[in-house]
Amino acid sequence: MALPTFDYVKAASLDEASELQKKAGNTAMIMAGGTDIIPLLRDRKRTELKTIIDIKGIPGLDGLTYEEGKGLKIGGLTKLYTIQNDPVVNEKNKAVADAAHYVASAQIRRKGTMAGNICNASPSADTAPILIAMDASVKIYNKETGERTVPMDDFFTGFKKTAVVPENGDILTEIDIPDLGPGEGSAYLDHSVRKAMDLAIVGVAAWLKMDGRKVEDVRLALGGVAITPIRAPKAEAFLKGKELTDDVLEQAGEIASGECSPIDDVRASAEYRTDMIRVYTKRAVKKAADSIKA
Amino acid sequence: MKRVIKFKLNGEEREELVLDNMTMVDFLRKQMHLTGTKRGCEEGECGACTILLDGAAVNSCMMLAVEADGHEITTIEGIRRGGELHPVQKEFIDKWALQCGFCTPGMIMSAVALLNENPHPTEHEIRDAIAGNLCRCTGYVKIIEAIDAAAKDLAKEVS
Amino acid sequence: MAIKQHDYYKDIESVYKKPEDYELAGKGNAYVRVDAEAKVTGKAVYTDDVDLPDMWYCKLVHSPYAHARIKSIDFTEAKKVPGVKAFLTGKDFPEGHNLGNPEAFKELADKEPLCREKVRMIGDEVAAVCATTEEAATEAALKVKVEYEPLKPILDPFEAMQPDALPIHYPDQENLSIFTVMNAGDPDKAFAEADYTDCHYYKTQQMVHAALEPHGAVAKYENGEWTIWTTTQGAYVSRYWIAWGLGVPESQVRLIKPMVGGGFGGKLDVFAHELCPCKFAQMTGHPVKCILKRDEVFMCTRTRHPISFEIQSAFTKEGKMLAKRCIHILDGGAYGGSGIAANTLSLICATFPYKVENIDMHARRPYTNHPASGAMRGYSACQVHFAHEVHMDEVANALNIDPLELRRKNEITPYYTGPTGLEFTSCCFDECLTACADYIDWEHRFRFEEGSGEGIGLSGSGFMSGTGFPVLVTPHYCSTAAIVRLNREGYAVVFSGANDIGQGCDTVMTMIVAEELGLRMDEVKLVQSDTTATPWDAGSFGSRVTFLSGNATRHAVGDAKYKLLSHWAGEWGCKPQDITMKDHRVFIKGDPEHNISYNEACFGYEETNFGRCCAGVGSFCHEGDKDVYVKNVGNYATAYSFSASAAKVKVDMETGQVDVEDFVFGHDCGRPLNIRAVEGQIEGSVAMGLGFSCFEECLYDENGVILNPGFRDYRFPTALDMPHMKTIICSEQDPEGPMGAKEAGEGSTAPVGSAIANAIMYATGITLRELPITPERLWRMLREHEKTGKSAFGAEDLPDKFANMPPLPEGRY
Repeated sequence: MALPTFDYVKAASLDEASELQKKAGNTAMIMAGGTDIIPLLRDRKRTELKTIIDIKGIPGLDGLTYEEGKGLKIGGLTKLYTIQNDPVVNEKNKAVADAAHYVASAQIRRKGTMAGNICNASPSADTAPILIAMDASVKIYNKETGERTVPMDDFFTGFKKTAVVPENGDILTEIDIPDLGPGEGSAYLDHSVRKAMDLAIVGVAAWLKMDGRKVEDVRLALGGVAITPIRAPKAEAFLKGKELTDDVLEQAGEIASGECSPIDDVRASAEYRTDMIRVYTKRAVKKAADSIKA
Repeated sequence: MKRVIKFKLNGEEREELVLDNMTMVDFLRKQMHLTGTKRGCEEGECGACTILLDGAAVNSCMMLAVEADGHEITTIEGIRRGGELHPVQKEFIDKWALQCGFCTPGMIMSAVALLNENPHPTEHEIRDAIAGNLCRCTGYVKIIEAIDAAAKDLAKEVS
Repeated sequence: MAIKQHDYYKDIESVYKKPEDYELAGKGNAYVRVDAEAKVTGKAVYTDDVDLPDMWYCKLVHSPYAHARIKSIDFTEAKKVPGVKAFLTGKDFPEGHNLGNPEAFKELADKEPLCREKVRMIGDEVAAVCATTEEAATEAALKVKVEYEPLKPILDPFEAMQPDALPIHYPDQENLSIFTVMNAGDPDKAFAEADYTDCHYYKTQQMVHAALEPHGAVAKYENGEWTIWTTTQGAYVSRYWIAWGLGVPESQVRLIKPMVGGGFGGKLDVFAHELCPCKFAQMTGHPVKCILKRDEVFMCTRTRHPISFEIQSAFTKEGKMLAKRCIHILDGGAYGGSGIAANTLSLICATFPYKVENIDMHARRPYTNHPASGAMRGYSACQVHFAHEVHMDEVANALNIDPLELRRKNEITPYYTGPTGLEFTSCCFDECLTACADYIDWEHRFRFEEGSGEGIGLSGSGFMSGTGFPVLVTPHYCSTAAIVRLNREGYAVVFSGANDIGQGCDTVMTMIVAEELGLRMDEVKLVQSDTTATPWDAGSFGSRVTFLSGNATRHAVGDAKYKLLSHWAGEWGCKPQDITMKDHRVFIKGDPEHNISYNEACFGYEETNFGRCCAGVGSFCHEGDKDVYVKNVGNYATAYSFSASAAKVKVDMETGQVDVEDFVFGHDCGRPLNIRAVEGQIEGSVAMGLGFSCFEECLYDENGVILNPGFRDYRFPTALDMPHMKTIICSEQDPEGPMGAKEAGEGSTAPVGSAIANAIMYATGITLRELPITPERLWRMLREHEKTGKSAFGAEDLPDKFANMPPLPEGRY
């Protein structure tokens, strides 16, 4: 179906993009991969949009680097497919590669970015939970206020809303994921009907720091069960200091499922989502523990 | 608005005047008259419109034509090699890996992109690479067989 | 008594090649698809690829309500969109010229090209716009203002049949679009005498064809004649209804079927998107194109009938099936069309592949405000064989008989005649069951403990091969014809009306001609599905193409061959049957004196016949009783195919996710004309059957608005979902089929869902009586099973609904 009329602007710098976006307010939108924007335009969901600001021409935003002890830096334009296949990401934090891999199809992942996936702020976005669990942060650039860093815990501010406020001229430029230290592990699991091309019914990410056989610290993030991706603080508190026996895992799942408030929709009922949080919390924690290198 | 874009299409340098709001699939089909790229869903869900953007398989319905400026686009019409069909095309014929043929160009483009990146894919990697190309006719069995055979043909060429 | 077809074509059939001499038929890789290169290079022309100079575009305006009266239509804002040229409403089409049902039921034709006063489903077409670009047409269609008076939508077929239900179409008809009764033997007596009787309920969902190519059409109007390129499965059928809808003679409408990107039954009916461009082309003088968006295809074309089943059966304790009493309630959706045949088909399918002498069955197809149901691959058979095959396992378990054994005890045998007159020919059902059981290691099926999450199940089915009864239009009952012309320049041309929609019949027709004439595949040129150039064909449906068109093509090439060989027999002093055509030569075996090239042979024929070319005309017609459709007794097809399948599944008992780990399919398709093509049909069937059983379902809200009109939430299997599978062809050549072939592409969908459902039953310990078995559904059942011990799930609402159904109307069947 034909797209409505709009003007396309290819920004050459962050300043240009930020300024344009701020000036145009909600009538403009930043485009990276474009795979979420084109359906939005086509379905006439944002009829006020008059300008699309393409940031793919801005140099330096498509990096993917790793530094021992510091972790991964993923650029605002780095494609999901690059992340999925990157040998270093797969070696250093496979859960991040897995999360990228769960998104849609190879074609979408070759165009779509991780930054776009989280800025679109779908409650079930596959890359959000692992970033939260990893205690990642993002860099947001604004021509007027400069660069700021926002932890992923504070990134999602409401339904389809994030710390990136387009009307203010904000642009997400980088995602920083801390390194996995000794005794630390991570995992992300997505539950959907098909094995590909499906939106997550739920997604669960886990980060663990083990002290011998006991959990020293843990962060759990749940997708698809609230208006934004959320943490599961009670389950985390429960797990701390415990050995990961089957019984403990089961209980952690139970607790996590009590922490979410999903809705019924065409993909699943709230009841099913709640129970899948139980199952997948258990499995994700187990997988994260298993991922810890001896 | 309209603007002039410079890009490479199937190996040829082109300059074209395009509308800002035209998707790549519409541009290819309506303006370039390259109708091998199909419109199956226009929602990024079926893969029938798969093309190569700088060698990587993407959905042309999920892309604006203006985004091609400065890049290289390859469609099903552009993958012949030296006047011969691409090995993937040959194996699709030989293995009966098509029925209605509507998903075929997109499927072949995904396969070509895969083999460019990964010359020795496992069966699972083949399935994963074409999971975004829906086929309602074949059950994928012969498609997977054809891509596997093409990988072996290409490997022979190299050795 | 009229002359029989075999007698009529006796001479022609006498020169047919003998099976032992076949060089192409039945071979694996002896040749490739004739359309393969065009398709892998992107050169194949589908409807959306037809690009005519100065072409304009049409877009349709759809109802947002499932049931409403149209109060007004206002084009004021739409007219302001630059490039907009013309508009249409229902009043622009001749009144009373509705589209739809088989010609035999023309008075029930119920679909207006554009709705005049009332809309009956979400997406019903109320207006059309024409503009110079597709973009302008899209914009203008969004700006057409239609005022509606919403009516209560009726979404439950049982509610639709209640006497106080609002009529969707006609008053005083209980909203029944059709109902069908089928009886044989003495079921009351059989039930009274049986050791075992039962009554179970089953239910299937609404599914869509989801052919990758969306529907569309291009029309032009020149010299008082329309030419239409459209996404059709039957060029002649579409032409008939388009001409009728426009109110013009068929002679003024030419229909050309380009490549079609899959049909599966969804492209049999005629739609607004075909009629509106025709009208606009006439009004504006420009060619006009209309291509549907994916969500329009979901709403405005056709779907698979959801069916609710009540099945009562009577068996001896040894497991002999004595009788069946069934009621099938089919949700017809808003319109009839190709959906009319679903009732009869659902009943026929319930009478085999097992012998049952006493039956008392009826089917009702009420209208509802769901999108219209219609023909879909394995028409009615998929739903029926799901219900009846799960039922077989329930019976087997109740009687403590091995489910495979129970099937074997009752299976149909070759040349059996069914209680309602089905005349079976070849039948390798037993071989199919055996092959599947062996592959899946049925004997050791209890290696997986019941309820362990792993299990295997099997299932069987049968289908018509070469459906003899009409869908939509029936000028010559259900015949098909072909013409073959031999060219002295060294090739032959076949003019075939058969409609290739991807299944490969263009290749089959070419192969049959090449085989008979001893030519190479590329020496046979095909002219296909163009109402001006090719003879009558009823369309691609009912597994009739290979069977009927294949026989017609063989008769046509046989006619030409017989003429040619008769001429040379006269010259050489032998019988035509003594002459062989092979390797581009015409000769008497072992006689070097009488051996000439194909070109010489054709030339010699023409020389003697004043330059008249050697051409043949052939046809094939199912010789059935024309009233079979009304009386529901008689033989529906020339032959019948049989299938069995078995699945090994692994169920995630915590999430309800089903993984089909291995699948085997045994198919009796007569002689496979090309093994790879047959395998391709079966592999595609398994994918579609997997979608039917585990993934696919159209979902609606309480207002009848579809919630998942796209491939994101209407999920059909991807390459990662497709199980490992094995195809086993178990067949002997059929005496009636072309070169011994029977159908391969439809019956093969029928036993897939039930094999998977039965496997899940053994894996989980619960019986599943409703599709689809989505993870959430199965999860819910597993939890309830654990809590309450309940062991059979699905269709729980049906006992009450069947009990409260009004009696069948009298005197209308």
